[in-house]
Amino acid sequence: MNREEAPGKSPEEMYIQQKVRVLLMLKKMGSNLTPNEEAFLRNYAGVVHSQMSQLPQHPIDQGAEDVVMAFSRSETEDRRQ
Amino acid sequence: MEMHLAEAPGSVKVTEWQQSYYGTDSGIQSGATTVRSDEDGTEYSTKKFTYSSTFKENPADVESQYNMTRAQRIRAAMFPETVMEGTAVLSTQMDLSQQTNVQKLAEPSQQLKAAIIHLINYQDDAELATRAIPELTKLLNDEDQVVVNKAAMIVNQLTRKEASRRALMQSPQMVAAVVRAMQNTSDMETTRATASILHNLSHQREGLLAIFKSGGIPALVRMLSSPMDSVLFYAITTLHNLLLHQEGAKMAVRLADGLQRMVPLLKKSNQKFLAITTDCLQLLSYGNQESKLIILANGGPEGLVNIMRTYSYEKLLWTTSRVLKVLSVCPSNKPAIVDAGGMQALGKHLNGSSQRLTQNCLWTLRNLSDAATKQDGMENLLQVLVGLLSSDDINMLTCATGILSNLTCNNTRNKTQVTQSNGVEALIHTILRAGSKQDVIEPAVCALRHLTSRHPEAETAQNAVRMYYGIPAIVKLLNQPYYWPVIKAVVGLIRNLALCPANQTPLRDAEAIPKLVTLLTKAHQDAQKHGSSAQQTYQDGVKMEEIVEGSTGALQIMARDPVNKVTIASMDTIPLFVQLLYSPLDNVKRVAAGALCELALDKQSAEIIDSEGACAPLMELLHSSNEGIATYAAAVLFRISEDKNPDYKKRVSVELTHSLFKHDPAAWEMAHNTMMEPGLPEDELDGYGPVGYQGYDGMHMDSMQLDPEMQEDFVPGMAYNSMHRPYPDY
Repeated sequence: MNREEAPGKSPEEMYIQQKVRVLLMLKKMGSNLTPNEEAFLRNYAGVVHSQMSQLPQHPIDQGAEDVVMAFSRSETEDRRQ
Repeated sequence: MEMHLAEAPGSVKVTEWQQSYYGTDSGIQSGATTVRSDEDGTEYSTKKFTYSSTFKENPADVESQYNMTRAQRIRAAMFPETVMEGTAVLSTQMDLSQQTNVQKLAEPSQQLKAAIIHLINYQDDAELATRAIPELTKLLNDEDQVVVNKAAMIVNQLTRKEASRRALMQSPQMVAAVVRAMQNTSDMETTRATASILHNLSHQREGLLAIFKSGGIPALVRMLSSPMDSVLFYAITTLHNLLLHQEGAKMAVRLADGLQRMVPLLKKSNQKFLAITTDCLQLLSYGNQESKLIILANGGPEGLVNIMRTYSYEKLLWTTSRVLKVLSVCPSNKPAIVDAGGMQALGKHLNGSSQRLTQNCLWTLRNLSDAATKQDGMENLLQVLVGLLSSDDINMLTCATGILSNLTCNNTRNKTQVTQSNGVEALIHTILRAGSKQDVIEPAVCALRHLTSRHPEAETAQNAVRMYYGIPAIVKLLNQPYYWPVIKAVVGLIRNLALCPANQTPLRDAEAIPKLVTLLTKAHQDAQKHGSSAQQTYQDGVKMEEIVEGSTGALQIMARDPVNKVTIASMDTIPLFVQLLYSPLDNVKRVAAGALCELALDKQSAEIIDSEGACAPLMELLHSSNEGIATYAAAVLFRISEDKNPDYKKRVSVELTHSLFKHDPAAWEMAHNTMMEPGLPEDELDGYGPVGYQGYDGMHMDSMQLDPEMQEDFVPGMAYNSMHRPYPDY
């Protein structure tokens, strides 16, 4: 938690910050935004700018992980040629 | 006839023995007649030389020549081997156009002689058995090494003839004496001769049994340390025959530490020798875990991989690949083979003319593949495997798809390379041709699923599936009858394909949406039937919860398309997605929240989501440590509340803010105490929450990051609704 970022931030500011972050995360995950949401981000471009650097760098939702198939469970009889 | 052999010197003893039999000179002492060929080390050949000459002289000498009797001339013609070297045999031939009687007799008499000797051989079996073998046995047990040596040479000769060989193998004392002599001698020739004897005896079952019963196996195993290549060859070949045909031999070889002696022999360079050695290893290790571990402990994987890398003799490559196949099912050997470069070495032999070699290499590669996902240098192998996808051989296809599926698992470089090598096109064609062969289809679909996500060329792969007409064929795989492993792979692939906007319409046209909804509904019902989350239902080895997750995830991504969004909502999926928000599984919660998030973009759907009571579970999900879940939940709540009154929005914000304290109980405590202070005027509260929040940071998603190291400070039970709020309820 970053307490030093903005001590004394008003609840309204916090709300904006929260919403900006959620919307940026959605975009990062590939989701679409409503026209109002896009407008919201444009309105608070400054907050967007500061939040961008705080987004996690790793991918968030890429679907199910790749999984190996285990083929070597049993030995097969080998015909001697 | 009595034989007094005890005191006479060796050569005398042998001479006496010889003269009591055929009356011919075997050449042991005189060195006459026989020639050995050791080039191939397997068989000896005997060449006999005969010669005769005719010439004319002046009559004065002829008289003296007639002093040589006719008997001598006949003997010379019939038994040229008895004539001393350099002796000229005078002929009475006067006219070159007319042969003498002796000359006319020469060839037929040679044939007659051969027939007689042949008869003698077989006729004298009994005599040999009763007379010679006991004596030879005694000689082999003699303390005088020279005696032992000569006796061994004779016995070796005898083993080259079938009749005498049979007699020898019927004498346990004889075989035991040979074994003992082989072990105890320090004379190299004796070692060689005795090893040769055992080798010759090992071509018949009787001989194998005699060797086995005489303790021949431990002795032969010891010979595997001999510095003489010929002894090594006799020993390994004899052991090989025993392992092939003698019951109990495998156990005896293992007990005699045979594996420990054989594995170092993999460094030899004679390819036929190596072929026999590797075949021995296969016979010993098949189905025997302990043997596999011994081979591993003695550097077997490295030695075997080196053979695959170095040689081109087909039989050797085949026998070696069979050992690697046996070892490749052993969890301890697998990583060792991979680390020794086994994948690359085996991959060199997939394009040759030997079908049996190719197939063995493919089975082995498939067994190893799940341990090779992090290996470098797979480029050639991957290229060859993509090429093999055009084969009609079902075994080859099963292996190639399986190996590709595993090698593209979580490996960015391999995924990119396969994509760039037209792997997508090849895999689609494989699926189209495979019919209902699940052993091919499942790994092929899994490979496509890997190729369509999590690497720089994923988008290329997603487009390629469409361009090569793969979408209808893939969606068709969702039809009944359901084979669940394939279903699971296909829904994952569809999800990835839907990430590419250009694929959304083809997917819809192929009727993916109704099929996904049907699957989701069925899987969810099956999962519900079993009640508690502790009992997860399996069908064909697949959990129904996995199908729920996969089909919901596919619908989530398909819902990004505006037309698909409406279609999905119209199929009455929203209540089901809301239900899934209560799932105990994070993965299911995530995809359900994600699907609702997409659908909530439409106001109408947002209202339905709200009316289905989604807010309560969504509020809970705001506290999830999974940032994907928390984000989707927050987004849905924002979208539901968009048209709501400001108070509703306030509440959402408050709940979002409450997630601050999840990892900070002190801050929670402080905020709680602040809000408990009496006399806090409501009208001093602004629209967004109690004054007590001042001094604390806004919500940081950092606190919701999925950090495996981070300790969960939030105490269960400290949910938002347990906090006493001094502000009015909404």
